[in-house]
This record gives sequence, C-alpha cells and structure tokens, in this order.
Amino acid sequence: MDVRVWLLWALTVLVAASSARNPLYGLLLLLAATVVGVACAPANGRRPFLAPLRFAAVAVPFSALFNGLTAHLGEHVLFRLPAWLPLLGGPLTLEGLAYGATSGLALAAIFGGFAALNRVTPVHELVRLAPRAFHEAGVVLSIALTFVPQTARSLTRIRQAQAVRGHRWRGLRDGLPILVPLLVSGLERSMGLAEAMVARGYGSVADRPQPLRLRALLALGLLALLGGWLAWLFWPSGNGIALGAMTLGGGLIGTVLWLAGRAVPRTSYRLRRWTVRDTVGVLGCALTLAVVLLPLPGRGTLVYSPYPRLTPPGFDPLVGLGLLGLALPALWGEAQGDEG
Amino acid sequence: MRRAISGVIYGLSAAIGVLTFAYPFLLQADRAAQERIAPLATAALVGLSLVALLMELQGQAISAKTVAMLGVLVAVTSVLRFLDVAFPLPGGFSPIFAPIILVGYVFGARFGFLMGAFTLLASALITGGVGPWLPYQMFTAGWVGMTAGWLARLQPLTSNLQSWKLEVGGWRVGLLAGFGFAWGLLYGAILNLYFWPLAVGMGGQGWEAGLGLRETLVRYAAFYVATSLGWDLAGAVGNAALILLLGAPTMRALTRFQRRFHFQML
Amino acid sequence: MIRFERLTYTYPGAATPALCDVSLEIAEGEFVLLAGPSGAGKSTLLRCLNGLVPHFSGGTVSGRVAVAGHDPLAEGPPALSRVVGFVFQDPEAQFVVDRVEDEVAFALENRAVPPAEMRARVEEALRWLDLLALRDRPLEQLSGGEKQRVAIAAALALRPRVLALDEPTSQLDPQSAEEVLEALVRLNRELGLTIVLAEHRLERVLPHADRLIAFPTPPATDILSGPPRQVLRRMEQTPPLVTLGKALGWAPLPLTVEEAHRVSCIAYRRSPIAYRRSQVANRQSPIANRQSPIANRQSPIAIRDTRYAIRDMRYAIRDSRLAIRDLRFSYGDAHVLHGVSLEVATGELVVLMGRNGSGKTTLLKCIVGLLRPDGGTVALDGQALAGQSTADICRRVGYLPQEPDDLLFADTVAEELAVTLRNHGLLARPPVAPARLLARLGLSDRAAAYPRDLSVGQRQRVALGAVTVTRPSLLLLDEPTRGMDYGSKRELLRMLREWQAEGTGVLLVTHDVELAAQAADRVALLDGGRVVAQGTPAEVLTAAPGFTPQVAQLFPATGWLTVEDALAGRGSAAR
Repeated sequence: MDVRVWLLWALTVLVAASSARNPLYGLLLLLAATVVGVACAPANGRRPFLAPLRFAAVAVPFSALFNGLTAHLGEHVLFRLPAWLPLLGGPLTLEGLAYGATSGLALAAIFGGFAALNRVTPVHELVRLAPRAFHEAGVVLSIALTFVPQTARSLTRIRQAQAVRGHRWRGLRDGLPILVPLLVSGLERSMGLAEAMVARGYGSVADRPQPLRLRALLALGLLALLGGWLAWLFWPSGNGIALGAMTLGGGLIGTVLWLAGRAVPRTSYRLRRWTVRDTVGVLGCALTLAVVLLPLPGRGTLVYSPYPRLTPPGFDPLVGLGLLGLALPALWGEAQGDEG
Repeated sequence: MRRAISGVIYGLSAAIGVLTFAYPFLLQADRAAQERIAPLATAALVGLSLVALLMELQGQAISAKTVAMLGVLVAVTSVLRFLDVAFPLPGGFSPIFAPIILVGYVFGARFGFLMGAFTLLASALITGGVGPWLPYQMFTAGWVGMTAGWLARLQPLTSNLQSWKLEVGGWRVGLLAGFGFAWGLLYGAILNLYFWPLAVGMGGQGWEAGLGLRETLVRYAAFYVATSLGWDLAGAVGNAALILLLGAPTMRALTRFQRRFHFQML
Repeated sequence: MIRFERLTYTYPGAATPALCDVSLEIAEGEFVLLAGPSGAGKSTLLRCLNGLVPHFSGGTVSGRVAVAGHDPLAEGPPALSRVVGFVFQDPEAQFVVDRVEDEVAFALENRAVPPAEMRARVEEALRWLDLLALRDRPLEQLSGGEKQRVAIAAALALRPRVLALDEPTSQLDPQSAEEVLEALVRLNRELGLTIVLAEHRLERVLPHADRLIAFPTPPATDILSGPPRQVLRRMEQTPPLVTLGKALGWAPLPLTVEEAHRVSCIAYRRSPIAYRRSQVANRQSPIANRQSPIANRQSPIAIRDTRYAIRDMRYAIRDSRLAIRDLRFSYGDAHVLHGVSLEVATGELVVLMGRNGSGKTTLLKCIVGLLRPDGGTVALDGQALAGQSTADICRRVGYLPQEPDDLLFADTVAEELAVTLRNHGLLARPPVAPARLLARLGLSDRAAAYPRDLSVGQRQRVALGAVTVTRPSLLLLDEPTRGMDYGSKRELLRMLREWQAEGTGVLLVTHDVELAAQAADRVALLDGGRVVAQGTPAEVLTAAPGFTPQVAQLFPATGWLTVEDALAGRGSAAR
C-alpha cells in the first residue's frame, strides 16, 4: 500500500483508540494492529512482531496500578491505604484498576498501530513523504540515512586506530579521541559531499530567500492558530469561533506549504501508482472513523466507565465490525514491492 | 522587517507549543468531551507549529553545505546513540542531546534547531519509533538546539581568524552542562505530558478538566515521578556529564572546522 | 572548446595564488591528462571548469574561462552542471541516496526533468558504465571501483560535454582503477566526451591521452601543455619507462611496454650483448608468464622461495624483529588466513603485496592484536605476542593505518605526540625526544599547528610521528602511498630508511609495484590467505605478472627492477 495510506491507517488507529475507551474494543484494535503488522511486513527474516503485545504487557498493569492508587472511587474496595498519604491515601478499588487497565489498553493499541507502520514501510519511503516545500529536509534525511552505515564503519576504524596508539577505555573522558575524529572527519566529508551535490546542479533554485509575502502569511496563520487555541482553552462558549480560527490557521499554513512547494521545480524519479489496495485501505479507515465519530446507534458502548460499580463492558457487534475495518490491509498480505 | 517577522514567527510558534504542552493544566471543565481527538489534535497543533518554524528557517537560503553538514551530523549522532560503550549506561541516558547543544552553541540558533529536529526525526526513522509523539519530540529537540544557539550570543566564542589559540573557558562548559541538565529534565517532562492524558484517561480520577492549575500539577507530578523521573534524571545527569567531560575539546574542533571552511550559517 | 585566458586564482586566506596567469586550450573530444605534484593546482584548475572555484570555495579570481561557450566564473555550478560533469576522489563522499538508480537520477530530479525522460537517461547512463546489473543494489555494498563508476554515471545523466575527474582512482586498488579507466577511455572514444583527468599514476593513462598538461612544483608556475611525448620530455617526474627512454635517448618516447620493446629492439642493434640477453629472456619468459605463481600454486619458484624462506627463518630467528608462523584467522565461516609464515629481520624492509581481499590488512591487524588469530604464533624480538592487549603490543610496534586522519584529534602536532606518550605512561621519560622526531618528519616548524589544517602528506607524517614516538622496534604501514606524488613517496622512503638504519624492522603493505621495486629488501606475495612467494624483489616481482615493474617487463630475466638498475646494467653491458 502507498505510504500515505499507511500513515492514514496509523492515525485512524490513534483516533479510534483514543475514542473507544472500552477494554473489549481496545483489545480488538490491539489485535488488529498486531495482525496487520505481522501480515504486511516485508519478509526479511526479522524478529517476530511482538512489540505491541510486549508494550501492552507493561502498560496495562502499570496503568491499572497507577489509576488504582490515585483514584479513589468505586464500590469494590480491595485495599485501604492510610488516609494521610497525599494522593495515595484512600481505598484501592477494583473499579480504579479496571479503568486504568482500559487506559493502558488504549495506549497499547496506539503504540501498536505505529509500531506496525514502522515495520511495514521501508524507511526511504517514509523519507519520500516530505512535501516539495521540504525537499531539503528530505535530502538531509537521505544523506543521514546513507551515511549511517559509513559512520558506523568509521567508528570502528577510529577505535582501532586509537587502540593502536595505546588508547584504553577507562572512563567517559576517553570517548574524546573517538568522538572528535568521528565528528571532524564526518564534517570534512560533508564538505566534499556538498561540492558533489553542487556540481550536480543542486541548489540551482534553492538559493532564493523566501518572499516576504509568504512569511507574513505564515505569521498570520500561526496567529489564527494561536488565537483559536486560546479561545478553545479559555472561552467556553466560543466553540465555533475557536474551531474556525484554528482551521483557518491550519489552512493558511498549509497554503504557504503548497505555494512554497510550487516554487521548487523538482520532479520525482519514482512515481507511485494508486492501486486497488490503496483504495480498500482508505475505505477500511473511513469505516472505522465513521463508526467511531458519527452518532450511530451502539455508540454508547464506546465509552466504558466502571464507576461506580464494576459491570461487564458493553459490546456492539456493528461497532466491532467497523473497528475491524482497520484489519483489512492484512487480507492482502505482504507488499508486492515498490511502485510501477 | 525581515527580522521582525522572524521574531514573530518564533514567538507565535513557541507560544502554541507551550500552550499545547500545558493544555491538561489549562483546560476548563466543560471541554471534557475532547478526549477522543486529544492526542491527534495536540500532535497536529504542535506539528503545524513545527512546520511553520521549519519553513521559516529553511526559507533563508539553505545551502548545499548546510544540507550536507546537517545530514552528516545527524548520522553521527544517530550512530552514537547505538554506541557500544565499554561500560553500561543508565537507562534514559541519550547521548544525542549533548551534540545537539554543542552544535547549536557553535553554529548558531537556526542550525541548532534544524539539527535537533532532524536528529530526532532520523532517530525515529532508524529505530522505528515514528509515532504521534514525533512532533513533540522534534519540536522540543529543535528548541533545545535553538536556545543553545541563543545562549552563545551572550558571549560569542572568539572567532578571531588570526588567533590560533582557541580558549574555551571553563565557565562556558559549566554553563552548558547546567543547560544540558535542565533540558534533560524538561524534555522528559514535556514528552510525558503527551502521554499523561492518554495513560490515565480524561474524566477519570487521574486527570480531570477544570480541576484548576494547582491540583492538576500535583497529579501530574505524581504521574511524572512514577513514570519517568528516574529516567529523565539519568538523562539529565548524562547530558551534563558528557558536556563537562567532552564539551570543550569538541567545541574547539567544531569552531576550527567552521573557520577552515568559512562556514556562515545565518 | 575549453579555453583559459590568463587565469589567476587565490584561495581565501592564502598568501600565494594557486593558479597564476594560466592560459590553455583544450579541443573537443580530447582526452586530457593533468599531471604534477600535490598542491600544484590540478584540482583548482579542474574546479574552474564548472565554476566550483570561485563560487563554492570563495577567493579571488581574475582572467577568463570559456567552456563550450559558457562562462563558469560568472554563471557558477548550477548552470554549468549541464555542460561539465565532475567526479571526485573519495568514492564514499559523493552519494546522497542509498540506491544506485536513485543516485543517478538525483541530478535529473534537481533540474526538474520529466519522469519519462529521466528513465531514459538513467538507463543510458547505466548502460554506458556497465552498471545495469547493479542498478538495484544499495550503494554501500559496492566496491570502490563500482562506486566510482556510479559517480561517473550520475555525472553523465545530465549529458555533459566535458567530464572532469579529480584523481578518481587514487583511493582504489589497481583492479578497480583499471575498470574505471577503461570506462573513461570507452566514453571518450565512443561518445566523443572530452575528458579532463588529474592523476598521479601516469603509467596507466598515458597511452590513451591526447594531451598532457604538466604542473611544475610550486613555486614555479610555468605549465606545460601539448601532446604527451612532447611534454614528457620536459617534465621532471615521469614514469619509469619514460625516464629510461629519456636517459637512453629513445625516440619516440615509449608510453607502454610494447612500444618500449619496439624502440629498444632498434636501439639494441648498438649493443648486441644486451640484445642477446633480452632475446634469451624473451624465449624463457613465456613459460613464466603462462604459469603464474598465483594461479598455479605448484609453481617451482613459489615453492623454492617458501622453502628458502623457512630455511632462512630457522637460521635468522634470533636476528628477526617479527616472526610469524602458521598464522590462521577466519571471520566466522570465511577463512581469511590459512597458515601465513612471514619474517622481518632487524633493519629490513619487507613489502607485502597481494590482490584485494587477500588478507593483508587482516594480517596486520592480527599482528597488533586488534584481531585474535585462530592459530599460529606471532613473535616480536623473539617474544610471543599472544594474549597481550593492543595497547601493550603497540608500545613496541608502530602501526600506521590506511586512514591516518583517524588518529588526529589533538589541538597541536606536539600534543598528538604527547597523547601517545601519555597513553603509554611515558610522558615523563619519552623514548624519543619529540623535538627530534618532529625534525626527522620535517614538521619542526609546524609543532604548534592544528593537525587537521595541514596538507594530506603532512597529516600522514603527524600520524606516523604519533605511532613512532614510543620508539617501536617494528613499523607496520598499511598502504601509505595512496594518492601520493613521486616527491612525497621519495620523502617517505627516506624517512623509512632512517628508521631502518636504527634497526627498526618495517613491514609495508602496498599495491604500488614501483615502490616495492625501489624500497624493498624482501617481498612477500599474499594470495588467498597464504604466502605464495617470498624472497628478494628481483625473484618475486619478476615471477608474477601483475606485480612486475615496467622496467622488469621490458627487460625480463635480467633482474633489473628500477630505472637505476637498468641504466647501471646497460652501462656494464655496453662496456
């Protein structure tokens, strides 16, 4: 699938997990993310994709405990801490634990979604996501990623060279003979690289300062964003205005991005074609988002509160099905490789 | 005029950043139902602010030299992150902040911001840690570099081309070490603020909108102590240690390189 | 097509101009070679072709340059990138992306070429450089020669009319260098591309050059330009064949061994003894040429030498600095060293040669303890080194790595020496007075300079100082003469001879056959992890094709290796 669709997918997991505060849904999301991460990862013999489950194994108990210790509501009291303890004093209730566990699950689902994203998309694809206005950032990242293996080899060579003159690792200070040659050699190499880039025509149009217009627009966009956010925080009745201002601000910034991008005449060697998979992926995300955000029946089960009395969480099969829309990419399995 | 607009953009984006980080403390009671989009919204806000700042910094004629230098420095810092050291380091000790601070100090605020933001981005890409917390990381790390650059303006390093004896006074190193310590803690606290509402849930008893600043701070403090204080403390101490021990010679080497290539970053 | 008119250029902060009043002309389709010592201005001239000087490096320039109708000094690199392609020396520091194809497309992306045309051009460039099989590979998996070819392809993607190359083969081993040069010759012949190439090892390229531009040693500024043979007559530093030709008055000056054969056959009519000797040698040599000791390990020469070597070792063991016996090493499953036995006597200079990947660097690392061998012994001055740490071993062994820059991190040259002493705890009573060492290295006036500000040759000497300040009894040098001009090589040899005179043993790893011919007391050939030949230079270097100096190729079976040998031998034969 296209990288952008994967990004959308991960963000959908984010929204869904934050909205569906229900342990059953949270579990469903976590499993969906794990399944997709396992099924769609490029096969190169890496370790099994257990990261989300491991994270959940840590986050859920921790969150449960934390919440249980600091929140003191609920009927089923398990334990009573002396009341003079700040924050901790009071009853430790089952409901508190349950609530914490739910939150932990949501966090784990979010983490799982992004872990899957990282696993499924090759790094240089992610780099290519950089919009044209940021193509310099893209080049910086490219260079960084290209130089990492070389720098690692440099590091080994420098360590050996210093060992040859008697260097021993006795303390942190002995890192100096390793760090300084690494840094300076790297910087010297970067000058050679800059020359090579310039010799190949890089920077022919990047050496233009941004017109004042665009920057003023940027400042205005930020102002609108800030204003809207302040209104949201401190002005309860100005809902519409706050949202409007923030949208305006975001829109202005986006426009500047687009305009700046247009001023950069570059083309891309690898073009990605939109495939059926991409469309299905988007549809799956849309389904999940619809289920989570729109006022559909069964919505009540989305938020589960164990207070004041612990009850089993509700589950609506339709909502569950909608959430499973996130697992659709797993149907196709491993990516076929790059573009056309 | 140009500098004025720069200043305005820096100020606005910083304000947005701070207000977004601090939103759990500031939110009024009847906004409680925003839980579902909070992580996305905060990431988006900080992200937009970051984008604006990056565009502003980039727009000023970023040359091939800058691009190449940034790329290589980011690579070096990323490799250092996985450095196999002879003795074990306490968790949370991330050796990427000391280079960001030193580079920002020597090469200036703009370069420092770009260095911080891109280092975190490259680190995330390499280690597979891309997530909605990334805008927070990039934004904050960028400001670490930027403020280090501003710190240097208090008393610039001698850039006299004739004098070959480059003294980096002990006070500078001490100042930077303290700076590194403070940012180590602050960075951790800010990142934690992203996860806090997620982890303890809104409307529950961990955090509630409208509780008032003091009460919320107390609760956050509890969360922070429980989750990341130890980690961040180790990181902060590590930053300070690295800068104290390795800062002066590294700064000398960087300054000499700057002289040799007459490299001027705006 | 390319014209320089009274070009003068001074680097920023430099006292003297790098180029002074240079006027040259280069026609279209010519293969031009730039020769001369380091620092004479070759790189600067090349960079003037596409405007990197002065746009990238700053400085002051006067005069005019015209390249295919463009003015690089005014227009700068962005405009000239379509006309002039540039390839740099370091294959590692030219790449932005990690895939071959994407790298070649980088230049095109910068110029907003439409995607369809981009594909066509990338295909074309890859095909010209024979890289179609490698198109999908990550760049870090390629060899040095392949990387340089990718760099050339990337420069070609914009369809330039001139290709400028700044010492592209100096970091490569001979085989890779051959690949690259073959590609360049092909591009020149078949595409009609004008090629301007700066090189130190002229032997490889001279036969193909249409024009030779020779830079004199600074501070002299008169640049010679013209057909190769003409210019070579007036140059001081020339390849061995040419030097021999000049001394013996051959005309036309031979550029290859074949030409030299032809010329010398004519000349030999004057000296029948040498002629007959060379005829006899020619009859014998086909056998030696066909049965290369490398290919056929049963070669009598190799076995005889190894036996002699073992016998010598048994007798000389008390006299030796370094004695390696049956050393074995493997990286995981790959066996790198299969039982290497080698010896370096007191005051002896042994040259270790072998193809790429034959294990030379591995051997050196095993000696100093950076790698732990699987079996065999290494003994220094009779004492076994097994189990000692690298730091301890290096108190008595000086190892100069391939990249001397890796060692330099201190603020001054004197401080570099002090660091080593401090590491070994010898700062209070140094075995060698640092001032004397600096004087021997020719760095007395640079004792307070920042090492990284010095030139490449000087930096190497600083590194050499840093490893010899502990007065080692053995010196190991890993390819110290890469990219060095003749003058610097002579300097290095002179310094090594001083150390040899003190009794230090020297083990030198190199690809440079001429250097081995001049410097070595003994030569060892390493192939596939074994020492396949060991003995005097005359024995070893003449027996293995690919490792034979030019003079020896010209006069086989005479035992002559260098120009001096040949002149002396000729003299005695003519008597």
